[in-house]
Amino acid sequence: MFTILHLAIIAPFLAAVLVPLLYKFIPRIHTGWFVLIVPIILFSYFLSYLPDVSGTGSVMKTFEWIPSLGVNYIAYVDGLGLLFALLITGIGALVVLYSIYYLDKHKEQLNNFYTYLLLFMGAMLGLTLSDNLIVLYTFWEITSISSFLLISYWYTKEKSRYGALKSLLITVMGGFALLVGFVLIASVTGTYSIRGILDASDQLADSPLFLPAMLLILLGAFTKSAQFPFHIWLPDAMEAPTPVSAYLHSATMVKAGIYLVARMTPLFAVSAYWFWLVTGFGLLTLIWGSLSAIRQTDLKGILAYSTVSQLGMILSMLGAGAAALHYDSVDNNAYTMAVAAAIFHLINHATYKGSLFMMVGAIDHETGTRDIRRLGGLMTLMPISFTIAVIGSFSMAGLPPFNGFLSKEMFFMSMVEIAHFPQYSVDSIGILLPIVAWTASVFTFVYCMMLVFRTFTGKIQKEKLPTKPHEAPFGMLLSPLILVALVVFIGFFPNTLVPTIIEPAMASIMPELAQTGSFGVDIYFWHGFTPELFMTVGVVLLGTAIFLALQKWNKMHAVFPENRLFNQAYNRSLEGLDRSSHALMSWHMTGLVRDYFIYIFSFTVVLLLFSLFGTGAFTIDVENMVPVSPYEAVLSLVLVGSSLILMFTRSRLKAVIALGVLGYTVALFFVLFRAPDLALTQLTIETVSVTLFLLCFYHFPQIFDALKETKFHAVNFVISVTVGLTVTLIGLSASGTRLFPAISDYFLENSYKEAGGNNVVNVILVDFRGFDTLLEILVLGIASLGVYSLIKLRLAGGENK
Amino acid sequence: MSNWLILPVLIPLIAGIVALFFPKHVTAQRVWAFITSMILIGVNIFLLTYILSNGIMTLELGGWEAPFGIVFVGDSLATLLTTTTALVALPIIYFSFSTIGVEREKYYYYSFFQFLIAGVSGAFLTGDIFNLFVCFEVLLLASYALIGHGGTKTQLKESFNYVIVNVVSSAFFVIGVAYLYAVTGTLNMAQLSERVSEAGSEPIITVIAILFLIVFGLKGALFPLYFWLPGSYSVPPTAIGAIFAALLTKVGIYSIFRTYSVIFNEETAVTHTILLVLSAVTMIIGVIGAIAYRDVKLILVYNVIVAVGFILFGVASLNSDAFVGAIYYLLHDIVIKAALFLIIGALITAAGTSKLSGMGGMIKHHPLLTWMFFISALALAGIPPLGGFPGKLMLVVGGAEAGHYIVVAVMMVASLLVLYSVIRIFLQGFLGEPMLTHAEQHGSIKAQMPPIVFLVALSAFMGFGAEIMYPFVESAAETLINPRAYVEAVLGGNS
Repeated sequence: MFTILHLAIIAPFLAAVLVPLLYKFIPRIHTGWFVLIVPIILFSYFLSYLPDVSGTGSVMKTFEWIPSLGVNYIAYVDGLGLLFALLITGIGALVVLYSIYYLDKHKEQLNNFYTYLLLFMGAMLGLTLSDNLIVLYTFWEITSISSFLLISYWYTKEKSRYGALKSLLITVMGGFALLVGFVLIASVTGTYSIRGILDASDQLADSPLFLPAMLLILLGAFTKSAQFPFHIWLPDAMEAPTPVSAYLHSATMVKAGIYLVARMTPLFAVSAYWFWLVTGFGLLTLIWGSLSAIRQTDLKGILAYSTVSQLGMILSMLGAGAAALHYDSVDNNAYTMAVAAAIFHLINHATYKGSLFMMVGAIDHETGTRDIRRLGGLMTLMPISFTIAVIGSFSMAGLPPFNGFLSKEMFFMSMVEIAHFPQYSVDSIGILLPIVAWTASVFTFVYCMMLVFRTFTGKIQKEKLPTKPHEAPFGMLLSPLILVALVVFIGFFPNTLVPTIIEPAMASIMPELAQTGSFGVDIYFWHGFTPELFMTVGVVLLGTAIFLALQKWNKMHAVFPENRLFNQAYNRSLEGLDRSSHALMSWHMTGLVRDYFIYIFSFTVVLLLFSLFGTGAFTIDVENMVPVSPYEAVLSLVLVGSSLILMFTRSRLKAVIALGVLGYTVALFFVLFRAPDLALTQLTIETVSVTLFLLCFYHFPQIFDALKETKFHAVNFVISVTVGLTVTLIGLSASGTRLFPAISDYFLENSYKEAGGNNVVNVILVDFRGFDTLLEILVLGIASLGVYSLIKLRLAGGENK
Repeated sequence: MSNWLILPVLIPLIAGIVALFFPKHVTAQRVWAFITSMILIGVNIFLLTYILSNGIMTLELGGWEAPFGIVFVGDSLATLLTTTTALVALPIIYFSFSTIGVEREKYYYYSFFQFLIAGVSGAFLTGDIFNLFVCFEVLLLASYALIGHGGTKTQLKESFNYVIVNVVSSAFFVIGVAYLYAVTGTLNMAQLSERVSEAGSEPIITVIAILFLIVFGLKGALFPLYFWLPGSYSVPPTAIGAIFAALLTKVGIYSIFRTYSVIFNEETAVTHTILLVLSAVTMIIGVIGAIAYRDVKLILVYNVIVAVGFILFGVASLNSDAFVGAIYYLLHDIVIKAALFLIIGALITAAGTSKLSGMGGMIKHHPLLTWMFFISALALAGIPPLGGFPGKLMLVVGGAEAGHYIVVAVMMVASLLVLYSVIRIFLQGFLGEPMLTHAEQHGSIKAQMPPIVFLVALSAFMGFGAEIMYPFVESAAETLINPRAYVEAVLGGNS
């Protein structure tokens, strides 16, 4: 049944259809105001589900889409899904509000922008609230596509199109991997329903398809969430308008991969591969992203790599949390905290990163640049933006009293804990996990400081700025202010989120553990003098030292040269693909039909001879054959002789005569085999065609002489002989294997009796198989019309039209 | 009732003949072609639904009982295809009004077109392998006439290649029929099915099966028999290219479907392995071609080849899921190829060139065309929930079921590159800096939009309405997997 819930999920799509109309007919009002209504209503609607999902609750509504293929649109709201739904609609509302001030209603194609944005919103809701994997996949691809459209929104810019293509290729590649992974899972469990699959998870674990399915799904998740080495698309995606970067490319879409990993955790977490892959790639991305962020000079570039890095961090926590599923209950199970930390950080990241993007957008909007080498000293000119930047960045750096500090501490704690995990040989190299985490956090701290201090402190360089800087309009600051307010609020009252959102989401990720009791998550600032506190102190001290050193030195890029390795790999492989495919095609697609025949005939004879002798089908059965009479022998010689002349003659006239001889000899064969009417037909045809050929040749230019120089082609000779040989050999074998009486006896018997004709051939032609003849007449008719129009109708030009 | 079965052939046949009598009255030609195509759609849809509820329909032509006379067999597969054929013929005819040129219209263009449809429909419906050959001849002759129609220089050059290759393949076809008749003594496909299964593992039948694979592979542009296709599909006017790309290779593919399920279903180890390998290589070579060129027509033409690989992969996988996938894909591919060709035709009209380097920023003046292209491009790549997806999904499911994981992987990579090849057209031709102002553009494309919108809507319906199509597709796949029903319908289960 199609319920309100389904309607809520597809509401953005419906609204997307209305947007162009609103844009066209109500141009006075910024279209964004109409659009804003959608996420606000949806946000309040999804808030009403909070009581339903508390504990381990969930709501499920099924609408049958293609039940025959097992594809049903099952809307499923549980803790994890609702968390995302609230993020999507909540951040969505703020982003739309922000965009109203960011995008000028006179200059921009608002109809396109909001259509894409709503398309994305609907797809993302559908993705996170679907129980059916195929429907999930459908929405997954729509998010990739809407992201593509939004990145290429300023479509005249070369870089936008480059970034759009890159993101599309990488995320759709992941999408296709995901599809195959889903199909493999379903082929074992027999269902596309996530609930059903989780019930059959034991079956899957024993299947040889377990590992391939897992790898494919991780490929999908990693590409979407910009994990190393697939992260390369995200920085280029920053060509999109800043509201889009804030929304898709930091707060929501890139978290679809994380959503998927979380969703699949109960299915795959039993495997050591899962633990190592998710944790390993997460940490690798974390450190790679943070290092790359330091090298950036574009504010959005810093934020892009920072997003890459933070996504890695969330994933690594989820990976570590997989360890929790090796325990039977929540008691004595410290690893559940890693999952809690992942979810908590996911929320925190959305709040501070969203505000930072919007802040950067405001700076870009008011100064005309995002280059930190040109910026500086904006503190007094843009005090509100500065406040936002400080709160957002300090939270990201993991400083108290902001929410980022809390989740960073939890992250350190879970990394320290996981180093002691007794399985998967974590004990041997597990100590690396907290070390990597800590090192990456130092770099994170450094770029957070860059973000604030390089932009807002120091000397203002007005001559380098395209426009005269001033504070952004209030409307543009409202959304980031709301977000930083949340950063502070969550920092002080983190536990308001615990029972409402975090614990239900944990229950979705660890459903079996959730049955055994409450997770007992309690988030607070002061844990005592624990390792994680010392780690934070270390981060601040070392980070400050590096930041100051770098600032003094001011040669950051010499120390950390821009690493383009993976970008180059992407560019080169695309270029190489274009080049080599073009080379391959122009090598064999010569446009000459004789070359094509060499390929076609070679393939044909090789395949046929191979099968003829390979299967043992070759037989020659002479028993049923009539002995060759002298007449026939002579006729055959004439036949062979005339075809040889036809091949080797250099004169048209001789060729036509040889052809005529060939035809008349065949007619003589018909006479010998007592088929006078066939012989007559053949004679007529031959006479007409020879005459026609002669007539035509009369009008031809004498190009035949030029052909005299043509050399003998051994390859062509071998191929043509083999073709003839193959046809003959198969013919002999076929006539030697007559397995059944032919239906021709029926024609002999009934020709006169039923059809009233003594000439069997005629009766076959006009009665038994009269339909063939009808169509053959049509063939002749078409041929003559075709020739007529070919002669009469000669349009000019050879260009493609 | 069973006489209705001849109508999908008879209507275009008579329509084409009648049109010969007033060649110079262009308006009358158009109206007549349009009306008869509408009727054809109606009849086909009627037949399709009738067969779904009443089972396979047969028509013994001239009243001569099977297997002696020629029999038409209307099962779901055949009528699904004739219906789809009629559904794409109509918009392409409409598209021709504004693009093909009055001169061509005066020289029997619509008659050739109708004869082509008659031949194609006949090939789908016939239950007699020699009659299949004859139907091929009808559609080929019509295509020869169409490809050279107008006689421009490039058309003549490519039509020469096209005609020569097809004449050779027709010769192989007749030779194959002769071999088959020598061994089995019959031409009726149902009886062939019986006799071949009675003969069991007779090796000569495998050889003949491979010969037929080559014959139909030549028509269907299977690797390595596709060389004639790129040139001959890209030189004629758009409307002709569209009907070729939509239908002609599909007849070859359909014939492989039919012969490899109804007739050659005994010794599948050799034949279906060959088919599997060829289908995979066809996908690869198709995408390589699609990426290699910067000419929008050629990009599309090579995408025709990719689809051949996809669909035959379903046949090679030989299970009902794969067949369901192959049929969905086949039907949708007819529609989407027609749509894309028409869109590209409109694009070329507007830009005045088929070279990507010479176009840009079409979105500015032609937003509708832009979005039609974008949707079609996604549908082509099998992005859900558009029409290409159900087929692709079920091909993956069926392929995985058969254990052909490597080919599934090849298919996915090919899909991605298909998307790449067409998105490049989107990025460069439709997005980007507009190269021409509205005034500079080479003609209006307004009259070309209705058929495009119709075809894209049809494609979308095939995705969203996959459930509505499912009973038909399922029943078509059922006859392929279990040809018993087909044989019984034709021979009455007693011979």
